[in-house]
Amino acid sequence: MDLVLDYIVRGVLEVFYTADGNLDLLPMMMVFIGLVLGIVVGATPGLNGPFAMALSLPVLISYFGVSDEALLPILGFLIGIMKGATVGGAVPAILFNTPGTPDAFLTTLDGYPMTQRGQGIKALKIAHFSSASGDTFSDIVLFLTAPVLAVMIERVLDLPEKSALIILSLSFMAAVAGNSPIKGLIVGLFGMLLALIGTTLSGDGPRMTFGIVALGNGLPLTSAVLGVLVIGEVFMGIEQSARDRMAGIAALIKPAEGDNSFGWKDIREIFPRVCTSALIGTMIGALPGIGTTLAATLGYDTARRLSKHPEKFGTGVPEGVAATEAANSSVSGANLIPVLSLGIPGNFAAVFLILAVESVGDFTLGPSVFRFTEIKEIPDYGTLINKDLVVAFALFTLMALGNLFNWTLGGWFLRSLGIMVRIPKTLMLPCVLLITLTAVYAQDGGFVAIWVVLIFGGIGYILRRLDISILPFVIGFILSPKLEELIRGGYSASGGDPLFLLKSPLALLFIVLAITIITVSTRRAGKKKV
Amino acid sequence: MPNLTDHQRPVPNPWNIGFGIVALAAALLTLLVWIPFDIKGGVIEANVLGKLEPGDAFFPALLAGALVVLSLIQVISAVIDRTVPDPDAASGKLTTDNLLFLCLFYAIVLIGLTVMYWLGPLTTEALKAVGLIELGYRQLLDTPPYKYIGYIVGGFGMTLGLITWAEGVTRPRAILTVVIVISVSILIFDILLNNVLLPPNADF
Repeated sequence: MDLVLDYIVRGVLEVFYTADGNLDLLPMMMVFIGLVLGIVVGATPGLNGPFAMALSLPVLISYFGVSDEALLPILGFLIGIMKGATVGGAVPAILFNTPGTPDAFLTTLDGYPMTQRGQGIKALKIAHFSSASGDTFSDIVLFLTAPVLAVMIERVLDLPEKSALIILSLSFMAAVAGNSPIKGLIVGLFGMLLALIGTTLSGDGPRMTFGIVALGNGLPLTSAVLGVLVIGEVFMGIEQSARDRMAGIAALIKPAEGDNSFGWKDIREIFPRVCTSALIGTMIGALPGIGTTLAATLGYDTARRLSKHPEKFGTGVPEGVAATEAANSSVSGANLIPVLSLGIPGNFAAVFLILAVESVGDFTLGPSVFRFTEIKEIPDYGTLINKDLVVAFALFTLMALGNLFNWTLGGWFLRSLGIMVRIPKTLMLPCVLLITLTAVYAQDGGFVAIWVVLIFGGIGYILRRLDISILPFVIGFILSPKLEELIRGGYSASGGDPLFLLKSPLALLFIVLAITIITVSTRRAGKKKV
Repeated sequence: MPNLTDHQRPVPNPWNIGFGIVALAAALLTLLVWIPFDIKGGVIEANVLGKLEPGDAFFPALLAGALVVLSLIQVISAVIDRTVPDPDAASGKLTTDNLLFLCLFYAIVLIGLTVMYWLGPLTTEALKAVGLIELGYRQLLDTPPYKYIGYIVGGFGMTLGLITWAEGVTRPRAILTVVIVISVSILIFDILLNNVLLPPNADF
């Protein structure tokens, strides 16, 4: 227990002190700035958390560099954005009935009617309380379960099991994200294949480059992911804006005055719904790929079923806003459970945390992080310690700081941002495109990054248009090198047995589960269409 | 049996079949052309001890093989599945309008990027030709205004072009917004960050 405490204390101190023992408030400041930016971004139509994380990452890397010291400020900023954007998303949904994300649509169901009655500020206070509660609960679950899970995984899983687990995760994401699991799996595998362009394994040189020398170092990871996520969305947004303009669609805003107080009576009323939704969101967040939309839907639906007056849901009841916001916010912390314990991202925000970790410093995600190795002071050498574990606890500290800022200043800041929703998408998205192109060029130092962003943007646009989720593509792209390493290692270790994945009972179980999930969800999707 | 019009009769979704066929073709091309011609190593190779080990093509071939199987499943299931077509559905298909939009979008962006890339070097060459400067663009990469000229003009044209296209009109607020964004970008990427270059300067 002393050893665990020692690591926790070192993790906390890592956030506030440099290696030389000097006070360092930069990581904490970065969490705060990230949170403020995240709330602004969340409150701006057309932008969301992963979007801002994507844009910030190249800028942060250009500014802080890629040394170990740069990791905590960068992660702190990204965590701040992640938390801020989650809570900020309620602003346009509640005040102007313009949800930035599918889960925010559920917030509009009761949030916007409250605004129409003049209770918009009260709805924002409820959204902030519920969102911060859900997020805090989810983070506590993360802090407690990730180390335990990771230790269990490290003991139980070897190369074949880890390979099978990645296959299971990808199948799971393909099954739950989008309308067609088979299509999801196909684009996931294409993502994996594209990630191999320009990679080098042996002395035979880079692979699959089409003879293009510039691809010899591989595709720039951040540019590719930014292309699919950000530029694809920019394409969609500009096209939609142009069509809306031609169709003459415009938003109408009707100001009204009403009771905007929020006190203990209101908290008592919504608290049971917040607890139920936080639990639902946390459980869903712990599973890779499901995301906030299902959590918000289930949270809202459960709250309606448990309510004494379910018929009032959708007419502007505080419980509706609370249930949705608590559910979607509690996904974010729990989503880091598979990231920290397995190195598998569960959502887009987690993707950018992984990208940051892979680009900066020598911190490694995965089960080995939580090895509580004995701390030994060796004279004239230094301290023998699992540095990754210290960084993991520093990460938890940054998340706790994010929650603290969110509770104390987030609500006030959130309510002052009604103005942001007035910025039109038509102005915003082309500017986002220019900033993205500039950022990737600055990070990768050449036009190759711009071409990659634009080509992957086209892929993202086409997938969105075909109604195929981009999540399996992005996750496949990121996990490909890891899966290749595991499969090659497992194959070699088995002495060249082509059925090595099926020889371990646990790996076999994961593969069977993957096939079952895809089969069952494909049948369900087929029935829905009929 | 009720009488169904052509629009109400369940039929296979051509977009689902098409997606499967395109994916199958891409997977077969990868397996039979791309991997053999663009990866020097084999699928399985013997190491110096004679032990069989996975080669450079092992994992790509495994992925492409899995893609062939999944694409076939997609084609077969899409042929079997029958749904009532919804002619008004906005998603799940790529229309000619969508492709036209994509082409126009890329055209505006590519024109902007071409100006961004070439304007600086062409300007310095022109000034050099008339004897106003002695150095070329490469030597002036860190000298204002030459280092900004391509980024400002190309970036301004591209961004304002897209805004005008989306809004249908060029408003002063759009011009002001683009000017602010470009100024902030220069401030961040050129003045605050010392170790990075604005486009296109890293390419020269």
